Amino acid sequence: MSNHQILNNADHLMLRVHTEANADLGDAVMTCLAVPLEFRLIQTEFPIVFRRDAEQGTFTAMALFGFENGENLFLEDGKWDARYRPLALVSQPFLVGRPASDDGDAQVHIDMDHKRISGDGEGTRVFDEDGSPTPYLEDIANRLGDLHAGFEDSAGFIAALSRHDLLEPFTVEVPLQDGSKHSLVGFHTINEEKLSALDGDALEELQRDGHLMPIFMAVASIGQFSELVARKNARIADA
Amino acid sequence: MAGEINKVVILGGGTAGWLSANVLAARRPELQITVVESPDIPTIGVGEGTWPTMRETLRTIGIGEAEFLQECDASFKQGSRFDGWVTGGKSDSYFHPFTMPPSGEMHDLLGAWKSNAKNNSFANMMTAQVAACEQNLAPRQRSMPDYAGALNYGYHLDAGKFATLLTRHGTTKLGINRVADTMTGVDVDSGGDIQVIQLRNSPPIAGALFLDCTGHSALLIGRHFNIEWVDHSNSSFNDRALAVQVPVDPESAVASQTIGTAHEAGWLWDIALPTRRGIGCVYSSRFLPDDEAERVLAEYLQKQMPEVDSADFSPRKLSFATGHRARYWHRNCLAIGMSAGFIEPLEASAIVMIELSIKALAENFPASREAMEIHSQRFNDLFHYRWGRIIDFLKLHYVLSKRQEPYWQAHRASETVPPRLAEQLELWRDQPPSAWDFPQVEEIFSAASQQYVLYGMGFPVMSNNNNGLPATSASKALSDVNERGRALVSALPTNRSYLANMTATAASLNT
Repeated sequence: MSNHQILNNADHLMLRVHTEANADLGDAVMTCLAVPLEFRLIQTEFPIVFRRDAEQGTFTAMALFGFENGENLFLEDGKWDARYRPLALVSQPFLVGRPASDDGDAQVHIDMDHKRISGDGEGTRVFDEDGSPTPYLEDIANRLGDLHAGFEDSAGFIAALSRHDLLEPFTVEVPLQDGSKHSLVGFHTINEEKLSALDGDALEELQRDGHLMPIFMAVASIGQFSELVARKNARIADA
Repeated sequence: MAGEINKVVILGGGTAGWLSANVLAARRPELQITVVESPDIPTIGVGEGTWPTMRETLRTIGIGEAEFLQECDASFKQGSRFDGWVTGGKSDSYFHPFTMPPSGEMHDLLGAWKSNAKNNSFANMMTAQVAACEQNLAPRQRSMPDYAGALNYGYHLDAGKFATLLTRHGTTKLGINRVADTMTGVDVDSGGDIQVIQLRNSPPIAGALFLDCTGHSALLIGRHFNIEWVDHSNSSFNDRALAVQVPVDPESAVASQTIGTAHEAGWLWDIALPTRRGIGCVYSSRFLPDDEAERVLAEYLQKQMPEVDSADFSPRKLSFATGHRARYWHRNCLAIGMSAGFIEPLEASAIVMIELSIKALAENFPASREAMEIHSQRFNDLFHYRWGRIIDFLKLHYVLSKRQEPYWQAHRASETVPPRLAEQLELWRDQPPSAWDFPQVEEIFSAASQQYVLYGMGFPVMSNNNNGLPATSASKALSDVNERGRALVSALPTNRSYLANMTATAASLNT
């Protein structure tokens, strides 16, 4: 359910948005969209994996927060327990919209049915008393701009990965301290052997198009799996 | 460690008695504390503004913030706004916020203010608190830990309910004994120390230290010991008040500051609680007859709350003397609250003086009768100094006025200005108020408070010696205040939303 509106200071002058990370506000998610331009920041905290859309056959890059649906191991008592909050999460409930004519500038839209929309007078205002954007909205607008640009880059990035056949299905069995096992199925990661085997022309092309750095960031991010397992074990120990 | 001074008897309930009892019990659990309160004597209950110190006091006592806010019908106080004090004109208004100016040389900040401000007031440039107050915002979010604030704050509260909360908390959680009875006499030992107080219906109560919290009847420090009253009405003219409490709409905005509005011969207070506004007219009977004061109050009510009929509210009449005891701690008796001294509530100094007194006692509690002589002398010196600074600071609000009524002219007559204040005003022409003027560890009114009043009231700012250019660090500090302020103000709820949601959350937890 959603109710998208074009954000404006007439309809939304008094609007307040709950900005904190919280399960009740829609943050209890196992993954979120990740765009290549934020891979450098994402890989310091989260594994980056790729999910294949069964119908369209295309891939989407995701930051991974947990091992099962609804599990976010970086959400702790209403606090985001990581240095970075991916653009797709932090920009909610705002979205980038296109005007009907399709060639105008991108607009800031808002989903007025999102849980982050405040109805109780608490939360952060989007516009000042005089109708100018608050620092919060200024920040959101920047992040939405990044997210939008990143999303546009994603298609080319994913196409390059596919063209060089760099994605491989990835299944991992995660043994936990209590003896149970979690298996993570249905994601893809970058095949390091194929990456290493790319010839100079291919590498030059990837470098020229700006894809090489995000590829290596995604490869490096796999090291965060151990952190994810540690967090899972800590949850089990606390329970 | 239990010394020989282990039994403390507090005579008088009310804010002074119960606040003292709770703090002392929390900080000195080894003491045996008894509060004797007379069922016949109503508490005064007009001290409804606290300082930020109250947060630490409540935390020390062990009362949660939401419990306190709800039980005392309290709201947040972020400072005071003074309307009409300079000229009485329409736009004559300034703030004394609780949040300090940014760190840095005040001399440079003043220069930066003067060159960058356009029409922005001193307080508005120094802290985002003014903007928050103008929008009736709370100083904190509910998700913050108790007593933490994004801006510095105290409270407005219902003093009667506060005493009730403290009574319950003190007797059930802190082990304070309560005796409801009236004192009929005092027994002293050969040296003159109080040994026992006699009660009408109960056995006499013995103690090693007695706190006189009996308000202006001052039963122990005044009637029994006859300690001299030092009068300060020469400097502070007001001696009467008319007080009303007007219920408000449950949806109405709750102001974030005490509003003090000057009138022809005094000023009016206006304190917003969630359920009511406490409004009062303070005046000098020498300059304004009582019926004229009633007219001033009615006019204010008419203007501020046109929806209410002021005839429905007959004001409570209070008269008071301004001054303090020559000694507050005499032999084994310490006066706390109005028994120690009183001055008009212009900067809400009554409750904070109780807090400071009990803090001084708790942190310097005499282990023996001999040590008590040393402690009492030090206490008397310290509080003599503090009373002096309160009298000076309140007078500052009057001497900077340009109002022309006889009352206001009289306030500027040099023979009514305390000499230390007169000297400071002389120095402040060349340098802003600083810690050099207020060197004590816990100054009652900091240099920042003096600055807010001084520059709020248009005291001239000395030209700087930098070719008129403000220091870049000072300009940067002020633009940081502004930037952080914009973010802060957009993230704070209104007082009304905060308090309503807090009540709703508590109700849902109780069902």
